[in-house]
Amino acid sequence: MSRWAKQIQTQLKIPAIGVASANVVHYAMDYDYKFSNGMPVRYVAVPFPFTGQPRAVDVGYVTGKDVLTGQPLMISVIKALTDPLTAEEKISGASPDEARSSRLLPSDTEENLRRLFEEKGWTDYNWINLPTEKRVIEMLKGTSRKSDEVIKTIDITGGQRQLTVEKVAISAVMAGASPEHFPLILALSTQAPFGNSTSSMANMIVINGPIRKRLKFNCGTNALGPYNRSNAVVGRAFTIVSKIVGDLRNNVNAWESLGSNLQYNNLCFAENEENLPEGWDPLHVQMGFKPNDDVVSVGIGWTSISSVGGSQSLYPTHFLMRDYMRSLSASGSAATILMDPTVAALLKDTHGFKTKAQLTEWFSQNVEKTAGSYWGNGVIQSTAVPFALQGLEPYASWKTLPDDTLIKPFTNPGAIRVVVTGGKVQTTWFVTDFGLRRGMKVDDWA
Amino acid sequence: MDRRTMLAMLGLSPALVAGSPAYASTAANGAPDSSAGDGLIAVLNPGIPNKLATRYPLAPPLDNLENKTIYMINLSWEGPDAGNYFYGAMREWLAQRYPGIKTTVKVTADGMFGLDPAILKEMTANKADGAIVGVAG
Repeated sequence: MSRWAKQIQTQLKIPAIGVASANVVHYAMDYDYKFSNGMPVRYVAVPFPFTGQPRAVDVGYVTGKDVLTGQPLMISVIKALTDPLTAEEKISGASPDEARSSRLLPSDTEENLRRLFEEKGWTDYNWINLPTEKRVIEMLKGTSRKSDEVIKTIDITGGQRQLTVEKVAISAVMAGASPEHFPLILALSTQAPFGNSTSSMANMIVINGPIRKRLKFNCGTNALGPYNRSNAVVGRAFTIVSKIVGDLRNNVNAWESLGSNLQYNNLCFAENEENLPEGWDPLHVQMGFKPNDDVVSVGIGWTSISSVGGSQSLYPTHFLMRDYMRSLSASGSAATILMDPTVAALLKDTHGFKTKAQLTEWFSQNVEKTAGSYWGNGVIQSTAVPFALQGLEPYASWKTLPDDTLIKPFTNPGAIRVVVTGGKVQTTWFVTDFGLRRGMKVDDWA
Repeated sequence: MDRRTMLAMLGLSPALVAGSPAYASTAANGAPDSSAGDGLIAVLNPGIPNKLATRYPLAPPLDNLENKTIYMINLSWEGPDAGNYFYGAMREWLAQRYPGIKTTVKVTADGMFGLDPAILKEMTANKADGAIVGVAG
């Protein structure tokens, strides 16, 4: 919205005002203006929620009040288009740089430092290792990269924050990681900050390659549980790096409506490559890496549905997976199916899926949901409706279908991933909507 | 006056003020070194400063809305329907009070993510006087 208003004003030289729901308007007026947009766009605000309401509600907002000022909304609209500019609204040019932050914080007691770190939003509110210079120097021994190397500049919400190797080392120390974890954490940091939106998204981290054994990652029993140091600290380091480099502070720049508890660890686990059925390649090999490459893959998603119980012979496992996948949004055609090695063996030996690709192709052809259910998801409305309006298929056709018509929303079997993990204690699986992006080689950061 | 002297005058022991069960370091983590030996610890700063955005001024405002051409840009946040209902009501409201006003609703091709050059081109061709952009949520 603010980009549009700015583009119209700078290109067409005509006034453009923004209309926002109450849930985001203050972010637009404050953080977005200061660090991203740079233009003091005039806004009016309607109550939240705006979408998903009966027509009469949205219509009623026009004759209702501007949430920002309390005056009638349309009076605010007219004033925003016609009021003379203030001195502030006429300012142009580069802003003065904010004072450079010092490399060291002022010395203080441990208690005060812990309080400061929490007040600044630099932690996950669990106990941290304070990043003394000694500890950070030790962590930096895990890589040959220079400490002042800039890994990336984060400007998604503005601010142009530079993430250096040293800043990642600080976060890694705070998370309780060891120097041998550091190359992996550096590789992960190229994907920071983690997903953050009003929709309460989360992340998934999958480790592949010999690094799993070197760092003693858990890919057996309790692979996704709090039972292993590497699984814990690497996932946690991604959270801390993300919060710091993303400047993610509650109700300032982070506004997930419910939030996601998964953000404490980001579902960090390793694939049980040793127990893959023959012909079922590890995730990273499917992505084009060599089996001996150390690779970390990151994905964004929201939902995980458990099989709960073990597989049943009366109803094939992949049928139940299909049924549960109907509940996923199918955003980007993405899904990740996590399964115990015993499930993978069952799917191959009993049900004939000789490769992971055969299984995902089957899901693509057999998962169906109604058009109404598909378009009833707000994220799909935001992302797929534009495709339909542009005439892109199958979205354009799907948009014309009656609500109860069945469609196959997982159009791209390549976007459905299968990852095998677990300890062969029960034939358990999870279907999730996490979309795993192409992995990164850890060696590049050693 | 140094800190220890000040605390002593207040009747407070520096050790008691510094130590609090909530923030006591555990044996497993080990207490960070106090390099000066005064109970104070030096740590690296995790924070990364934000750069302020370059400032852009607003375009000149309109004098009034009579006979103006106003575009209403529907960003399709969670779909175009709510925005279309809202803008529809807004058009009616304006038409009743400004009979010469011309309003047009455009749904962006890329939803809320991209800038739609075709709309900007049309606004230029039709000599738009102002715009309302939304509804963000």
